[in-house]
Amino acid sequence: MAKQTKKLYALHGRKKHSFNLPLTKTIKIGKREYKIVIKEDNKYGTYILWKNRRYPVEINLSRQNKFEILFNYVSYSFTIETPFSLKRKQYLSKEKGASEDEKIIAPMPGKILEVMISQGDEINRGDPLVILEAMKMQNEINCPVNGIVTSINVDPGMNVNKDDIMLELKIIQ
Amino acid sequence: MKIKNILIANRGEIAVRIIKTAKKMGIATSVIKTVSEPAAMYLSHADTVYDDTDNVSEIPVFIDIERIIKIAIDIGADAIHPGYGFLAENPYFAQKCADNKLIFIGPSPDSIYKMGNKIIARKIALSNNIPMTLGSDGKIPSEKEAIRVARKIGYPVIIKAASGGGGRGMRIVRKEEDMPKMFRMASNEADKTFSDHSVFIEKYIEYPKHIEFQVLGDKKGNIIHLWERECSVQRKHQKLLEEAPSSALNDQLRKEMGEISVKIASAVGYFSAGTVEFLYDANGNYYFMEMNTRIQVEHPVTELITGIDLIEEQIRIAEGKDLRFKQQDIKLNGWAIECRINAEDVQSGFSPAPGKIEKIIMPSGENIRVDTGVQSGSVIAANFDSMIAKLIIYGKTRKEALANCKQALDKVWIKGTKTTLPFFRMLIRNPNFLDGSITTSFIENEISSYYVYSEYEEKLAAWLATWLFIDENLDESNLKVNVEETRNISPWLLNKRISRH
Repeated sequence: MAKQTKKLYALHGRKKHSFNLPLTKTIKIGKREYKIVIKEDNKYGTYILWKNRRYPVEINLSRQNKFEILFNYVSYSFTIETPFSLKRKQYLSKEKGASEDEKIIAPMPGKILEVMISQGDEINRGDPLVILEAMKMQNEINCPVNGIVTSINVDPGMNVNKDDIMLELKIIQ
Repeated sequence: MKIKNILIANRGEIAVRIIKTAKKMGIATSVIKTVSEPAAMYLSHADTVYDDTDNVSEIPVFIDIERIIKIAIDIGADAIHPGYGFLAENPYFAQKCADNKLIFIGPSPDSIYKMGNKIIARKIALSNNIPMTLGSDGKIPSEKEAIRVARKIGYPVIIKAASGGGGRGMRIVRKEEDMPKMFRMASNEADKTFSDHSVFIEKYIEYPKHIEFQVLGDKKGNIIHLWERECSVQRKHQKLLEEAPSSALNDQLRKEMGEISVKIASAVGYFSAGTVEFLYDANGNYYFMEMNTRIQVEHPVTELITGIDLIEEQIRIAEGKDLRFKQQDIKLNGWAIECRINAEDVQSGFSPAPGKIEKIIMPSGENIRVDTGVQSGSVIAANFDSMIAKLIIYGKTRKEALANCKQALDKVWIKGTKTTLPFFRMLIRNPNFLDGSITTSFIENEISSYYVYSEYEEKLAAWLATWLFIDENLDESNLKVNVEETRNISPWLLNKRISRH
């Protein structure tokens, strides 16, 4: 029989929220525990009741262990890991070494007008990468990091959806 | 000439807003039902609904001049209110209305044309000694000429579309080497958006405030102003929050800019409601930017501080009646703030987040006005603007209005799409916004987060994600977990699961 998992982690960026299992419907502040109630009614829809306050919640994404939760109108993306899967993940990223990839995703749906870089180019933070036309506006997408272009997935004239990966870079520290 | 039936060539909250005043005045209203929004709220408010759902044209009916005119004639309307956007500032449309004996509720085609073409507007302002930024005399035909003019006036400069507005076709150029690229981009964008590639160049004012004056004129040439609005909270030239009056002006400057606004409007024989926009720099200089020849989205803040219904005045003026106010009748009472609650994702660059509004509950009360075209179950369609509701707040002073606004924002309840609410909840707590010192560069340059971070809210969201994960992995043997109330899955989760697939 498999060993029982005693903990789960919800990772959000660099933050790690840990929850003991079995998961209780409470969140602690200091020494006091406050009950979490998930409710749904006709007037408010689905919400969480916590410390006598109603918080609107939506589940925008739920795919395997990835979740995007809209909580009180703010969006949070979580990856859920067990202690074992987290260890494995940390090990794998260590193996890969310090070089990290940066994916440039389309911030909105639109049409690519211009691609201003080529494969293998070494570019600096702030350099223009592509021009994306959306809602009749031409938007220059600039490079968020210093890096080398490892792949280009778009061509001028191509339509992209929001969150499509337009290009990938290898970050230079 | 008394207007009996107005066709509203628009949709959403502004259609509802116009209907409200028309009803008060005993005027019938007609609206158009489109295939994009066959169940929209504005349809249920009007007396007559023209069903245009079989129109499969790629051109939305609201910008189809011939079709709008035909519908107006078919349903027996005697006037057309264009609202804002769409055909509101199209001189050809205003002329077409006149040709078909329909009253256009707005200014003359000539005024719309002159103010709509920014190069002509600049010339008119110059010849009337209106304070302006340095700029090109006319349109710029080439990159070479652009470089020559920019050298003369000095960088940074802004390239603008002659037929532009609303921030489209504008590019800021900070150094000469960027000019060729920026010139091409601005020119292309102008061509695509306005079918007119002409652009001109102006000196770019760094860190300005956006201050605009509401004007009203009748067909006899009487023109007054209704004080100012400040719209410095904007992103990529899209306004997010407006207030009236502006904390930057003193009474003397307010009076002076008001008079200048009336002077510009008079120069084009303006009648109906209009807005004269200025940039106001850190040294207290103001520069005429442009005039908008329509009712503006943010008109309610002016209505709250003056007590004047601007739509009613537009209709009366269109009927040929004289202005019923003199300048000295226009009092400035209290302070008003408008928050544009849009279906946008503030965490990914305010990108549109269309979708179904499952629930909307807006606050109400003595100091609160809500203008909306949305109710629970409404759909924010991707092909129209992202407006959900305008939350308009009043207070005797700015401080009081801000406090009321903070309270009201906490009472808004919207489910179904991402909204600009977290942005406003952050803004209403930002010290620079609160002391009134912010400029139009505030959002892009001066704030690090578009929402107020709460450790406990993040923790609760993390808890919910974990709970969902456990719930979804109940049947999978690779994860052995003990979960409280394992069989007690809420119907909400089941619904969500079904709707995902």
